[in-house]
Amino acid sequence: MMASSYSSSPCAACKFLRRKCNQDCIFAPYFPPEEPQKFVNVHKIFGASNVSKFLNEVLPHQREDTVNSLAYEAEARIKDPVYGCVGAISVLQKQLIRLQKELDATNADLISITHQGSISLGLGHVDHSNGFLNYPSNLSNDM
Amino acid sequence: MTLKGGTTQACAACKFQRRKCTPECLLAPYFPADQPKIFLNVHKLFGVSNIVKILKYLEPSQKKVAMDSIIIQANYRDKYPVHGCWEEICRLQYQIWLMEEELHVVYQQLEICRQQQQQQLPHDDVTSQLELGMAPRSSNALALFNQTPQPQSYNINNNNTVAAPLSVSQQHSYSNSNSVDYNNSPLYMDSKDNATNPNLWIQCPYTSNNSNSITMQPHQLVASESQPLSSVQQGVVEDNYDEMHSFFDTVDDRQSYIYSKEAYESSSEESLKDTRKCTEHVSENELKSAAACFSLTSVN
Repeated sequence: MMASSYSSSPCAACKFLRRKCNQDCIFAPYFPPEEPQKFVNVHKIFGASNVSKFLNEVLPHQREDTVNSLAYEAEARIKDPVYGCVGAISVLQKQLIRLQKELDATNADLISITHQGSISLGLGHVDHSNGFLNYPSNLSNDM
Repeated sequence: MTLKGGTTQACAACKFQRRKCTPECLLAPYFPADQPKIFLNVHKLFGVSNIVKILKYLEPSQKKVAMDSIIIQANYRDKYPVHGCWEEICRLQYQIWLMEEELHVVYQQLEICRQQQQQQLPHDDVTSQLELGMAPRSSNALALFNQTPQPQSYNINNNNTVAAPLSVSQQHSYSNSNSVDYNNSPLYMDSKDNATNPNLWIQCPYTSNNSNSITMQPHQLVASESQPLSSVQQGVVEDNYDEMHSFFDTVDDRQSYIYSKEAYESSSEESLKDTRKCTEHVSENELKSAAACFSLTSVN
């Protein structure tokens, strides 16, 4: 058999497909023979031809990321045939919404506390009786 | 393509494959004829035979949910050809991390304000001290600082730490979303991170070397996804959550997020630094303002 990019043995894809692994095999750099399950998963969910098409559409330096993301999605779909990796997205979105609500509530608390603090100090408070009325403006005139 | 003698249009799947769409067509319920793009995306990623295989082993009640998730997954792959759903997951994790940081800052500010409030409760003590021109207790330094007219440089600090916490968080989020290096961000998980961050449960397990970690770098996040946090939140959440919300309610909530200890500490340190600056400036002006108070106030 022809050598793959990294070793003399065929890549995991060609091994699985029982075909000759050429030097220009598109799968060879990304499916090393030491990780057979990676290609098995990808082949099961997406199929070799679809993966090959995706790899041909992206730039060469993007192919490793493409393969890894496909492998991740394939494994997620095998583990969870109903939701796949989309379940993770849903959970994260819920968490984000929950955090946003908490942030809004906490900001509201902070604003209300600082507002109460201003009132208690008599800042611009008309009913204050011990001469702190117009306190800041008087100070600015003097200073 | 329409059926002979019938008014039912062929589903998008059968239209694409140029075959007769029978009433028993498995894919017809999921791919209406007026949305060919959806089927194209799914077909490009999975292929018809693989979809049929996935559906074959599911309960009837699960098929619709599964198909919806397949369609979403295919749409993400169409939108992000290199990273697919992983890009969305990384983006959400980063937003969660940012929001956690904001929340931490706001909680700190809240704690400071509550402490101030508790210390301001004996109100008569403060006013009498001010009237006598005495320096207030050091714990009231910030309270006095809030009263006095601040020089120009104070306004920014004051606003940042007390009066307008939202501006701090917004600044924080803007700076983070526009300038972070995703390659070195906490979301870039490698084998070391997996060991040190047990909270990580969303793991992309494939790398060239280690079967339990990733080396994938979401380059595209830097180039295309830098947006102010609020608009990203609205866009991402509204666009995507609605279409999944209805059937993902059954998914168990798992409290998990990427947490960067360094960033957390640095942001908290920054807010504390701002607070300290305020108090230092307050101590410089304390006597001055206290003296002014003495000259202006009158005791009734």
